[in-house]
Amino acid sequence: MSKHLKVTFQCYVLINCIFWALLLVMRLKRFLLRYYPPGIILEYEQGGQVKTKSIDLLDLASTDDALSIAQNLSLKEPLITQTRIPQVQKLVTKLQEKIGSTGDRQFYLFKVLRAHILPLTNVAFNKSGSCFITGSYDRTCKVWDTASGEELQTLEGHRNVVYAIAFNNPYGNKVATGSFDKTCKLWNAETGQCYFTYRGHTSEIVCLSFNPQSTVIATGSMDATTKLWDVQSGQELSTLSGHSGEIICLSFNTHGDQVLTGSFDNTVCLWDVHTGQQTNTLIGHRGEIANAHFNFDCSLIATASMDRSCKLWDVRTGHCIATLRGHEDEVFDIGFNYTGQQIVSASADATARIYDAGTQKTIAVLEGHESEVSKVSFNPQGTHVLSGSADKSARIWDVNTGECMQVLEGHTDEIFSCVYNYEGDTILTGSKDNTCRIWR
Amino acid sequence: MGLLSILRKLRSDHHKELRILLLGLDNAGKTTILKSLASEKIDQITPTQGFNVKCVNTPGFKLNVWDIGGQRRIRPYWRNYFENTDLLIYVIDSTDQKRFEETGVELRELLEDEKLSGVPLLIFANKQDLFNAAKASDIANLLKLHTLNGRTWQIQACSALKGEGVQDGIEWVMKTAGAKAKKK
Repeated sequence: MSKHLKVTFQCYVLINCIFWALLLVMRLKRFLLRYYPPGIILEYEQGGQVKTKSIDLLDLASTDDALSIAQNLSLKEPLITQTRIPQVQKLVTKLQEKIGSTGDRQFYLFKVLRAHILPLTNVAFNKSGSCFITGSYDRTCKVWDTASGEELQTLEGHRNVVYAIAFNNPYGNKVATGSFDKTCKLWNAETGQCYFTYRGHTSEIVCLSFNPQSTVIATGSMDATTKLWDVQSGQELSTLSGHSGEIICLSFNTHGDQVLTGSFDNTVCLWDVHTGQQTNTLIGHRGEIANAHFNFDCSLIATASMDRSCKLWDVRTGHCIATLRGHEDEVFDIGFNYTGQQIVSASADATARIYDAGTQKTIAVLEGHESEVSKVSFNPQGTHVLSGSADKSARIWDVNTGECMQVLEGHTDEIFSCVYNYEGDTILTGSKDNTCRIWR
Repeated sequence: MGLLSILRKLRSDHHKELRILLLGLDNAGKTTILKSLASEKIDQITPTQGFNVKCVNTPGFKLNVWDIGGQRRIRPYWRNYFENTDLLIYVIDSTDQKRFEETGVELRELLEDEKLSGVPLLIFANKQDLFNAAKASDIANLLKLHTLNGRTWQIQACSALKGEGVQDGIEWVMKTAGAKAKKK
């Protein structure tokens, strides 16, 4: 090889190496804060692509030393270089301030919306809480402005009850509706235009969800199947068949690669979203499943059943870790707090119960409702529980003492749905009395 | 009875449970009949803005009775509830002669619906305790019930308020549904 050629070759190798090194080099672009559950999202560039990585700080306490947490993170995470430590320390402090706030506030009735001419089914906020949607027996879904109580859009087109509804959070520019007419529709939340009608189910659609990336919609039906649909193309991606009873609830994990389905066949199934294959079946309940959820880090699933018990499952093995007892009648709803450390359940026995997810012991029994409790959830801060009941009231409870802090009264018929917004400073209740109430 | 219980009642087990739809014009007495069936107090009944569902236990069967509001503007939504209906009960205010035609038109429309084809029909000629109530046989003639083809039907005089005749109607329901279940 001539000298000249050798140099050229060496140069080529060198450029190639630099090129590959550049591809692999991760350049931190910015930090994003996530309050609920507490975490720092790193946005970085690698090989010309912008990617994100999430550092979860689920155990963060307001008394922890922010500097040492930042230093620790720097040791574990190459993107957080020494020079970034003061910045990360500031972010941790900011998260701690948020955690320190208990979300304590007295809610008052802000607005009564004569929302529909027939009973409401479900209600849901967009991420910021500026808008919300209501589904109804009057076959419509309506989009509302939270601050003014103004009706922004009526999504008309379904031929039967609009039962399941969802925003494509965090974006909030699309709405999916699942109906007893067996179809699911995708709408533009701002214009009310219907993008697609997803047809294929042979019975009522009763639950639905966007995946966290908002690229896929999953719908669960009384026909015992779950279907995955493409948001962009309007095509069916797969049918998840395997249950022998109606699908009653479904939920994506945090990454969006797994979906769980709960059924009246007493089981919960886990599915791989990409292949549509069933990966596990959680068998053990002796009554219909009422609801099921992943915890935030997707290691556990909590299930509520008509067999009067709740169960906790290991996602990896599919084994039942514990049975949460105490309710004296069917359990209708269940939920984790955002950090996954506590579980709350609601029952026909007119109580709700809070359990420690680690020890599986009962922390508090929430007594006060005069009739069955059908909906329950934690506030984002994890300090309070919101419950909705057939006794026409919603109640707010203190997680630590189990005491009822407030009764939200006024509905003239039972409450079918109640939710917090992401900040935890607004509550929405939807009722059989055809109205929706905003509390703040 | 939250949303979940409603889903459960949607898919009632046809061998043990009967799904019964209670329809009729506003003020016909549907909710009063429902409460009377469930042995509940019948004071303070207000117009139904949506629906009521009650479970009634009878020997051999559990009845899931759906009482749907009858006001004109919500009648178009009756169809929401047609799926899986085992038996239709149509309630008529026997004193409201002015609206006999209207109630007849609504009933005809119901019976023409594909989802209710072949579903047995019980008509309650309600409010028989009032002096100006039309006789059940007269109402049957007015509604030309004898022209109904391919459908088992019965008309029953009753007073939901006094609790008279309702039980007789339900016995017919049981008998009819029992025969239907055997055929299945």
